[in-house]
Amino acid sequence: MLTGSKTTFKVRQMLPDIKERMLSQSGVNARSRDVFGLRCLPGECVLQRAVMVRKKLTAREGRGWLSGTLFCTHFRVAFVPQDSPRPDDNADPVLLGDHDVALASIEKVVVVGPNRTKLVTPNSSLKFTPEELVLYCRDLRVICFLFDRLTPDAQVLEITYTIAKTYQPPKPGSVLSFQNAALGSVEMKQFLSNRRRNAHMNWYESVSDWEQELERCGAMGWRVSSVNDRFEMSTSLSRFIVVPHKVLDTELKKSFAHFNEGRIPRWCWRHPRGSDLLRMASFQNNIYHEKDDIRNLEMILFGCQSSLCVVVELAEELPSPADIQLAHSRLRALCLGDISTSVSVPDDKWLSTLESTHWLDYTRSCLKKASEVACLLRGGHLTVALQEADDRDLSCVVSSLVQVMCDPHCRTQHGFQSLVQKEWVMAGHRFYSRINYHRDNDKEEAPVFLLFLDCVWQLLSQYPSRFQLTDDFLLALHDSIHLPLFSSFLANCQRERCKRSQNLGQSYTPVNGWRDMLHPDSSSDPCDPPLPPVWDWDLQYSKHRRDRFTQPVPPVPPLQPLLNGNLNTNPDTHRLADTLPGSVFLLSRGTFSCPANLLPWRSTSSGPYKKSHRRAASSENVPGLERLLKAWALTEFPQALTSTSGPQGPLDPYEPLLPLLMGPCMGLWRECYLRGALHAQAFSHPISANHLHPVERLAQEVQQLKDKLAQVSTGTDGIPSTKTAEPRRTDANLNQNTNNGTFLFPAVRPQSKAAPRMTPPPTSTTTNHQQTSRGPPPASAPPSRPVRRDNGGGSNSGNKHTFLFGHSSVTEARTYPAPNNAKLPKSNGPSLAS
Amino acid sequence: MRNLRFAHKQMDDTLRKSIFEVLMKFAFPVSNGLQIFAFEYGQVFPENGWKVYDAVSEYKRQGIPNESWRITKVNDHYEVCDTYPSTLAVPVNIPDEELKRVAAFRAKGRIPVLSWIHPESQATVTRCSQPMVGVNGKRSKEDEKYLQAIMDANAQSHKLFIFDARPSVNAAANKMKGGGYESEDAYQNAELVFLDIHNIHVMRESLRKLKDVVYPNIEDSHWLSNLESTHWLEHIKLILAGALRIADKVESGKTSVVVHCSDGWDRTGQLTSLSMLMLDGYYRTIRGFEVLLEKEWLSFGHRFQLRIGHGDKNHTDADRSPVFIQFIDCVWQLTRQFPAAFEFNEYFLVTILDHLYSCLFGTFLCNSEQQRLKEEIPKRTVSLWSYINSQLEEFTNPLYVNYSNHVLFPVVSLRHLELWVGYYIRWNPRMRPQEPVHQRYKELLAKRAELQKRVDELQREVTNRSASSSSERAGSPTRSITPVQTFV
Repeated sequence: MLTGSKTTFKVRQMLPDIKERMLSQSGVNARSRDVFGLRCLPGECVLQRAVMVRKKLTAREGRGWLSGTLFCTHFRVAFVPQDSPRPDDNADPVLLGDHDVALASIEKVVVVGPNRTKLVTPNSSLKFTPEELVLYCRDLRVICFLFDRLTPDAQVLEITYTIAKTYQPPKPGSVLSFQNAALGSVEMKQFLSNRRRNAHMNWYESVSDWEQELERCGAMGWRVSSVNDRFEMSTSLSRFIVVPHKVLDTELKKSFAHFNEGRIPRWCWRHPRGSDLLRMASFQNNIYHEKDDIRNLEMILFGCQSSLCVVVELAEELPSPADIQLAHSRLRALCLGDISTSVSVPDDKWLSTLESTHWLDYTRSCLKKASEVACLLRGGHLTVALQEADDRDLSCVVSSLVQVMCDPHCRTQHGFQSLVQKEWVMAGHRFYSRINYHRDNDKEEAPVFLLFLDCVWQLLSQYPSRFQLTDDFLLALHDSIHLPLFSSFLANCQRERCKRSQNLGQSYTPVNGWRDMLHPDSSSDPCDPPLPPVWDWDLQYSKHRRDRFTQPVPPVPPLQPLLNGNLNTNPDTHRLADTLPGSVFLLSRGTFSCPANLLPWRSTSSGPYKKSHRRAASSENVPGLERLLKAWALTEFPQALTSTSGPQGPLDPYEPLLPLLMGPCMGLWRECYLRGALHAQAFSHPISANHLHPVERLAQEVQQLKDKLAQVSTGTDGIPSTKTAEPRRTDANLNQNTNNGTFLFPAVRPQSKAAPRMTPPPTSTTTNHQQTSRGPPPASAPPSRPVRRDNGGGSNSGNKHTFLFGHSSVTEARTYPAPNNAKLPKSNGPSLAS
Repeated sequence: MRNLRFAHKQMDDTLRKSIFEVLMKFAFPVSNGLQIFAFEYGQVFPENGWKVYDAVSEYKRQGIPNESWRITKVNDHYEVCDTYPSTLAVPVNIPDEELKRVAAFRAKGRIPVLSWIHPESQATVTRCSQPMVGVNGKRSKEDEKYLQAIMDANAQSHKLFIFDARPSVNAAANKMKGGGYESEDAYQNAELVFLDIHNIHVMRESLRKLKDVVYPNIEDSHWLSNLESTHWLEHIKLILAGALRIADKVESGKTSVVVHCSDGWDRTGQLTSLSMLMLDGYYRTIRGFEVLLEKEWLSFGHRFQLRIGHGDKNHTDADRSPVFIQFIDCVWQLTRQFPAAFEFNEYFLVTILDHLYSCLFGTFLCNSEQQRLKEEIPKRTVSLWSYINSQLEEFTNPLYVNYSNHVLFPVVSLRHLELWVGYYIRWNPRMRPQEPVHQRYKELLAKRAELQKRVDELQREVTNRSASSSSERAGSPTRSITPVQTFV
C-alpha cells in the first residue's frame, strides 16, 4: 500500500522522490524498462502492477481478450500485452502506448466482483476480490480488465486501490500535478524543448504564416496587420489579423471599440470564386459613430468586395454552448451505460432516447448553416461575415466547417490541423474554459469543439473518398482534448499562451514563437513543464497509429495554389452585379432581409451614407440572393452527373461538399461514442464490426498493391544500400505483430510513407516499374522475404491465432481468445490462406 | 416504396379512362385473368439461372449422404408434403414408412428435415413445422423417436435444442388450433427455446408504418422516435438474435438444433437461412446465396405468391407480409458489420428485392416447388439468376475475401443496427446519391484485378531471379544499376 505522501502530488517534493525510486528500481538508466516490459517515460515510476490480466478488446481492435500485465504509474494505467516486442530503448518516448490510458482521462473506476459491482473511490475499501476492473474515461472509452484466477489477490486489490487513489479527481490543481507527472522530469523537458514543430502545417504564429495563407487562397487586397501585436487592441484576438489593404493601422485602431471584445471583422478564407469569409463579434451599440469611423468600419466589413456583404447571424438557429453541453452530457450518459448503477437504456428505447439528446439535431443545424454559407460563397464576389456575440464559439464551428466543405486542402491532415490552428486556437476559442480541465467552471463548460468534430465526421461519412484524413485522426484528436497536456488546448487565447511561455523564461519573439528558442534553461526550473502542442502526434501515438491518420491513397487532386480569386469557371451563373455597391443583407433562418439596425451606425447616423444605403436595401435585390441559396438543394446534380460520368469528367475540387441533412442520413459516430459499450455484445465472440467505407478499404488495398509493386520492382532495381534495408524492416514489423497477437499490419504499410507517397500517379509508376523489372537480374532481390499474397494474412504463424479479416487492412485483424481457440479448429490462421 | 403520380394533360375523358383501365389491367394481370409478364419475357441470357440449384449436388457439397443422414425420395410426387421439395435429407435409421407417420403429427406434413450440417462436428440445423399437440397434449412416438434420431446423428452432444420462433404466448395459443410446441417431458434431452419473433401480420403492420414514416416526407426532428415506433428494427434485431443463437449453438455448442414456427415456411426460413449464412461461407458468395434462396426459401415452400401477391390487385390481403424483405434486410445488416465477408454488394440485394416485385423473372413466382413444376416455370420463364450471373461484375463486392471457413457472429444490439437507407429511402425526393459508389466499385474492381495480375507477374519474376541470382550475388550490384539509368 502506498502512503499518502507518494500519491498526492506536490511537485517539488515529488521530484527527488521519483529520482530515488528510479535509482532503486532500475539502476542508473532512467529510461530503462520495467522487468515486465513497460517502458517508462523519463521520471515515471511504476506504483503497482498486476500480472496475468486480460484486457477486453474493442470492436476496432478486433474484440476478444488480450492477456498481459497491468501497471499503474503516477501518470497512466498501462497495459503491456504478453510477448509484446521489447521496446527500443533509444526511441523517442511516446506518452501513451496502444493500450494505455492516462490517469487524467479516467473518470470513474468500477470493479466487478463475483456477483456485485462497486464504484471505487480513493477512500473506499473492498470487501471482495474484484474479477473485473472497468475504467470509464472522459473521452467515452470504457476499458475493461479481467483478472485471472492466477493473479495474486493482493496484486488485484493493490492495483485497484492504487488506481483509485492516483487517478485525478477533477479538482483544481490536479491538472498541474498530472502535467508534472507526464512531462515534469528534467529529461522530458529537455526532450520537449528540443523538438521541432511540424513544418508541414501552418501555425499562424507569424506574419509570414498568414501571408502564406493569403497566397494559398489567392486573396488579393488583404494584408496582415500587426496592430494587435501586444494584445492591446483586443486581448482575445491573435497577434496578427488580416484586414483590407485599404485600411491603415491608424484607422484600424479606432474600429476596435465598436465591437464586442474588440473582435473586429477579420478575414478567414477566400473562396476560389472570389468571395471572402469574415468573422466578427457583435457591434457595440452604445458608442458614438464618428463619420471617419464609419468609413473605416464599412471598408473593413466590405473587404475588397465593394458590392455586397451578407452578415450571417449565428446565434439564432444554432445551439448555444449551454445547449451543446447538455446534449453532450446526455449523449455520454446514454452511450456509456454504467454497469455500476446498471442504468442503461433498454434497446427498444434507444432510438428515441438518442433523439432526445438533441445531439444529432445540433450537428445538423451546424452543418445546415455551414452549407448555406458555402453556397453563398460559391456564388462569387461577395463578403460573408459571420457574426456571433463573442465570436469565439459557433463562429469557429461554422467558419471551419465551411472551409472543410469547400477547400480540399482542409480535408488533408495537415490542412485540417492548420485550419483548427487558424479558426480555433489562434482565433481564441476558449478551449481552457470550454473543456473545463480544472472542473472549477462548470457554467462555461461546453464541448463546442467536439460538436465540430462530429460535424466533420458526418461529412467524412457521406463523402469518404473526398477526405485525406481518416476517422482515426478525428478520433485521436477527440481523445487528445481530454488530456490536459497540450498548449493548444490549455489556454483561451494566444495572449494566455504567450504569457505562459514567457513564464517559462523564454524571451518573446514575435516571428518564431517560443518553440524555436534555444533550450530554456531547465535547471533554473520554473514551476510548469513546457507543454507541447497537440499536433505533435509523435509524442502521443506510435507509428502505426499515426499511419492510420491518413488514407493511403490521397483522394484529392493535386493542389495547385490559386493565383488569384478570379478562378470563376462559370461567372454568370449567379451574377449579382445588379446589386448596388455597399448593400448589406442579413441572412437569418434561410431568408435575407435588410433590417434597419443591422449596422448600428447606418440606422443612427445621418449623412450621405444613409441615403444611398437605403436605396440599396430595397428588397428587389433580395430574390437574387434567395435564388442563390435555394438553388443549393439542386446544385449538386451537376456535380453528381460529372462524377458518375466516370474518370474523364473532372470534378471541380472546390465544389462544396453539401451533406444530406435528412434525419436518416445523420449517423451516430459509433466508433467514438459506442467504443466501450459493454452491453452491446450479445456474445463474447470476436467480431469485426468495421465501419470503414468499403471504397476506402479498396483504395487501401490498391495502394498496398502499388506498394508491393514498388517493392518488387525496387527489389529488381537492386540498389543494395537502401533496398535491402526495407524488407528487413518489414519482416521485423511482421514478427512484432504476430507476437503481440492482436494487430496484424500489412507488411508494406510502414513503407507507404517512404516510397509510394512520392511516386508519380499510378499509371506512370506501374508502367515504369514494369520496365524496370525487365532489367537484368538484381543482386539484392530480397530472397528471404516471403512472397505474400494479397489476401494472405496467412504469413503469420498459425498458433498465434491471429489472422486478417479483410485485405490486410489494419483494423480488421481479429483475435480469438486463447481458451476458445482450442475448440474452434476452423478458425486457425492458415485455413484462411486462400 | 414510392408512389408515382402522373398528371394528365388536357385530353378527352374517354382516353383518360382507357389509360386507367389498361393500367389497372396490366398492373394486376392475375386479377384480370391475364398472364404475368414473366411468361412473355423472352430475353436470352448466356447463363441459365435454373441450373444454379440442384438439391442433390447441394446435399453432396455438404457431405450428405453420410453414415447418419440419407437422401430420401419419399416425397418424390409431393405425397407426404405438398409444400416440400421432392428431395429431402433425413436420419439414416428412420425408414420412409415412419416418415409418413411423423408427417401426420407435423402441421401440413412438414417433417423435420436437414437444412445444414456442420462439416466437422456433424451438428445439424433441421427445420419443420409445429407438432400437432393440440389442447389435449397429444404425443407421437414416431416424432419423438425421430427427434432422438436427429440428436443421435451428432455424436458430439447429447442434447437437442428446439427453437420455436414464436413468442411463447402465440405458441400456446396455437394449441387451440391443434398445433402447439414440444413439451420437454415428451422429448427427452431436448430443450425448447422461444425466440419471440412475431407473426406475419405484425410484420406487415410494421412495414406499413415504416412506409408512412419514410415516404413522402421525413420529419427530421422526430425521425428517430418515429422510426422507433415502427418497431421495424426491433423485429430485425429479434430475427438476427434468433439466428445468432442457432449459429452459436451449432458452432460453439456443437449441438443439433430443430427450428420451427407454426407452418415452418416464414420465420423458420428466415432463421435457418440466416444461421446458415453465418455458419457457412459458401452461402456468402453470389452463387452460394442463390443456392441458399433456392433451397431454403423456394424449394421449402415460402409462399411467395401469397406473401407478395404477384399481379393481384387485392392489396389488403391478410396473407401478404414482408417476410422475405426482412430476411434481405437482415442480410444487409450482416454485410454492414462484415463488409469483406460477402461476395455480393448492396446492389445485388436491392436487385433481388426489385425483381421480387417486378414479375419479370420466374424465380419468385408460385408458392412451392410442386406448383412451379406444374406451371412449368423453368421452361416458360427466365430465372433472375440468369440475369444476375450474366453480369456478375455489377454485383460483386470488390472487398470480398474468400475465407469460407469462418463463422460470423454479428452484434445484434439495436445500437449497432441501422435502417437500410439505400433501400427504404432511395425514392425520397430529397435523397440523392452522394457518391457514385457503384461506379467506383467497378472501377476499383478492374483496377484491383489489373494490379493483382501485375503483382503476381512481378513476384514470379522476382522469385525466379532471386533464385537464379543467389548464386552470383557478389558480382551483380554493379550490373543491376546500369539498366535503371536507361529509363530514369
